[in-house]
Amino acid sequence: MNDMTTPAIERVWPELGGGRVPAWIYSDETLFERELERFHHGRCWSYVGLECEVPTPGSYRRSFVGVKPVLITRDEAGEIHVLENRCSHRGAPVCWRQRGKGKKDLVCPYHEWTFSLSGELQGVPFLRGTRPHPGMPRDFNKAEHGLRRLKSTVRGGVIWASYALDAPDFETYAGPGVLRALDRTFPGRPLRLLGYSRQTIPANWKLYFENSRDPYHATLLHSFFSTFGLYRADAEFDIQPLDNGHETIRSFFASTAADNRSEVTDELKSIKEGFALEDMGVVTPFDEFGDGVISSLQLFPSVMVQQHANTLAIRNILPKSVRETELSWTYYGYADDDEEMHRRRMKQGNLVGPSGYVSLEDSEVLAQLQPVADNYPDSVQVIEMGGREIGPTTTAITETLLRAFYAFYRREMGL
Amino acid sequence: MAWIDVAAVADIPDGEGRAFSAGGRLVAVFNCEGELFATDDACPHGQNAKLSMGFVEEGRVECPLHQSCFDLRTGKVLTPPADADVRVYGLKVEVGRVWVDV
Repeated sequence: MNDMTTPAIERVWPELGGGRVPAWIYSDETLFERELERFHHGRCWSYVGLECEVPTPGSYRRSFVGVKPVLITRDEAGEIHVLENRCSHRGAPVCWRQRGKGKKDLVCPYHEWTFSLSGELQGVPFLRGTRPHPGMPRDFNKAEHGLRRLKSTVRGGVIWASYALDAPDFETYAGPGVLRALDRTFPGRPLRLLGYSRQTIPANWKLYFENSRDPYHATLLHSFFSTFGLYRADAEFDIQPLDNGHETIRSFFASTAADNRSEVTDELKSIKEGFALEDMGVVTPFDEFGDGVISSLQLFPSVMVQQHANTLAIRNILPKSVRETELSWTYYGYADDDEEMHRRRMKQGNLVGPSGYVSLEDSEVLAQLQPVADNYPDSVQVIEMGGREIGPTTTAITETLLRAFYAFYRREMGL
Repeated sequence: MAWIDVAAVADIPDGEGRAFSAGGRLVAVFNCEGELFATDDACPHGQNAKLSMGFVEEGRVECPLHQSCFDLRTGKVLTPPADADVRVYGLKVEVGRVWVDV
């Protein structure tokens, strides 16, 4: 009856469609496959890495587009390629190390089929056989057996890839609002790689996607925020829901935010009089972009790009199964950051990541939520905060971004 | 460097190579349309491949393992994935015997 094996095609979205989300979208395996096919492995663009991770010819880094393993290389001429990390022979992964430098070619460990850094098949052991035994058939054409190449583009030092060779160009895909937000923290200044975190969240990927476009929960779940004034329920926001699966959220900070209180913040029981950090530097933003803005964005389906104070990171949302997602964080700064800014970024990095002061609750909540969704697949979530319509707003207390996401999702998935 | 008698000319068929031990190394001798050449047997690509088992054509030998090609006369590497030249040795034929200068 109402079990997880009911095919997705029989699923019907609940009435009051816009303000409701059915829980079966988090546990239906057929739907999960369809999402991958339609989105991640389809005409969407996915984040795969940063140029500064593959700085020199011969450098490489493994990544994912959807669930498919890919490999970023920089060839001798300095060009970036995104290739399937799957040998065209028998399907073994060609590259087994996560990242590195100095490769001259790609040699599959299984039978040593050898590819150039741009994926062309160069060497097939015993191609011509061993006298007197034949090797590969005479019409075997190496040109037809290279590593599959994804469409890729680099903008502002960020590498994006798509399986669809006919995908729209990246600028069209992102749209002007998201592009503006992206260009703000990736303006083409050389980046400095600060580090990584990786965590497995036992929850459907859409739950994380929702979570990072749900400012309503921020000051309620993450008590660190309101206790130390980093994020305030009554701050002014600029929230732009879009119909393409992406979003941008901006807020405007004042340097005295920690001192400003109002009846809203007074209500939040996590505020404690005189409760302060010994080192407020971890929550004190420095207006490095000169616009007084804290900004984040989502570029569907693969990333949330964060700015928390001065800790900048790309959160790569990687589905692994219907109920498991890898969240892969890449922290960055700029090559011309001075020592003070660098230390500020490293310190503030403690706010985020798997055990971050303001991030750790997200994965904990979602890990708890998934089994409930699994066991109540026909239950329905209510997303009506701020009303039932979808539109831009200036408050964080809204679920308009969730309504926008599911309007997009239903349209694309035919639900 | 010393000249060493490694084989009879007839031991190396046209279009093929053979490996011989000479002066403590393994040397490959190739017969390309009647002309003889000598190189190190080990492919510089370093994957334990023997050039003497490779494919000889138009003054080149193609490594059997990953098809890197080398000029038989100069040892120069002509196609990837190898990116280093192979060492060549002086060769002379006297009275039907092949001598290599190792």
